[in-house]
Parts: sequence; C-alpha cells; structure tokens
Amino acid sequence: MSTPKREPPDLTSPGALSSLESRRQLDEYNYEHFRPKHLLADLWRTAKGEGVQPGSEVPDFELETTEGERVCLSALRGQPVLLHFGNAT
Amino acid sequence: MVTPIKQLYEWYGDRVKFLDIFVRQSHPGELRGAYRTYEEKREGAQEHKRQEELPWPLLVDNYAGTVHKAYSGGMPDPVFLIDSEGMVSFYGMWTHIPTLKEAIDELLAHGGRGIAGGGLDRTPHFFASFVDGWRGLRRGGKRSVLDYDLGAGGAGTLSFLGNKAKPLLAPLALRAEPLPATAKLALGGALVAVALAGGLLRGRD
Repeated sequence: MSTPKREPPDLTSPGALSSLESRRQLDEYNYEHFRPKHLLADLWRTAKGEGVQPGSEVPDFELETTEGERVCLSALRGQPVLLHFGNAT
Repeated sequence: MVTPIKQLYEWYGDRVKFLDIFVRQSHPGELRGAYRTYEEKREGAQEHKRQEELPWPLLVDNYAGTVHKAYSGGMPDPVFLIDSEGMVSFYGMWTHIPTLKEAIDELLAHGGRGIAGGGLDRTPHFFASFVDGWRGLRRGGKRSVLDYDLGAGGAGTLSFLGNKAKPLLAPLALRAEPLPATAKLALGGALVAVALAGGLLRGRD
C-alpha cells in the first residue's frame, strides 16, 4: 500500500471520518480520562493564542444538526454568527 | 434562572445567528464514557440539546473533531463571533459571556463588520464553569469528578462547592452584563471567603 498523501482536512463532510486520521489520533482526541496533560495542553494553547485569529476568514464546514439538517457555514454570510463549541460532560 | 448564553440569545437572537458545535467529552466517567463512534456522539448531542433545552441549532462535529481542532486546536469551551463577511470578529478562548456581550454590541454598532471586543480574549475564565459546571461532571459520574480533581488541582471539588454556593454566586458568576471595576474587586474577596467556608463545611461531613 502506498503512503497516503497529506491533504488539508475536509471540513465539509458531515460526520464522515477523514481517512487520514489514525486510530491513535482518534483515541487521543476522544480520551477516556481527563488528565493533567489535557489541562496543560489547554493552557499552552491559551498562552499561544492558538486558533483562527481575529480578522482572518473562518474555515468553512458543513455539519449535521441533531435534527439531521445540514448546515453550511458559508451559506450564512450576510449576518453575524455566534459559533460556540462545547459538551455537556 | 436563564443561563447567560441563553440570555444573549434572548437579546440578540434576532440579529445574530446562534450555532453550537458538539465536541468530545471533556470529562468522561463511568456513567458517560468517551464516545466510541460518531453515532454515539450524535446521540450524546441529541440528549444534550434536550436536557439543556438549547433553543438554537446544535451541530455535531465528526468523530475526529476536525472542525473543533481547525478552529481552536481543541479548546474545551471556545466561542467565535463571525462577522457578516465570514471573518473572525472576536475569539474567546474560554467563553465569558459579559465579554462576549461587549463584543456583540461593538460588532452590531459597526454594521456587523470588522474586529470587535479587542479581537482575542485569552483570559482563562474559570469562574462560571466552577459555579455552573457540576451538572456536567455529575452526568459523567464519580470518575469524572475524581479525574478533574487529580487533573486540575481539585477542580472537581471546587465545582461541587461552586454548585452549593450557586444561589449566592449566580448573580456574579452567571451574569450576562459586564461588571464595573469596583464590583470585580469585591467579587474576588467574596470568592475567597466562600471557598474557605465551603472547605470547612465539607471537612465536617
């Protein structure tokens, strides 16, 4: 098997798993236990100001709502959008 | 009481499109473990929308957290205010509603375009999550609380105490309006007093 080509992540496929993500990366992201390293990683990201910076264009995506409706971010152009990320647990 | 982000929705929902993206569990435990599949994550999101009675759409990120990571590197509680041309107007790395409100006011005052609220807020705002975060930890179970205590210097216990003191702290911790500077000083003193009193009470059990 040939080595997979590195391509930018596909942000437009709802729920689909990018074949470029290895099992290890998936397990790391969906960790079983909150550990000090997770807090440290968050604080490190905070110190660096990691993320999409003010003034830059947001990456587009298309995801499904809990009701199964597909929402494409770029289709909402023309009005401000408040985009919050989180989980209940 | 209305959670502060819902308060913003009541105030601005007609002018700003609200969206939430559901990410991995920050505090998995024995009652709610880490999601093993996208389907499990989607079910978790549906339950979350129902339990929290979220009035705006909740989108489910893929299992790899691709959108979550692309936007924030995977922060637990980030918020982006996107202007009407698709640019980031304000990025709060640790969502703080009063700060977000100021940014929304500024963005709307400038016709919905451009950077607002100073653009980037990197301050780790933990106060609201300690007062309002117990519900989530309880859903995860005892293991969620223990891991949070071990992983973040007693943060699980602090959330327990914050929840106990919620009637007292909510007007400060869960407000949607920014506080004047003098009130911020008083707040710091009160928080220390409550933490000390709470520690004494819990030690007696």
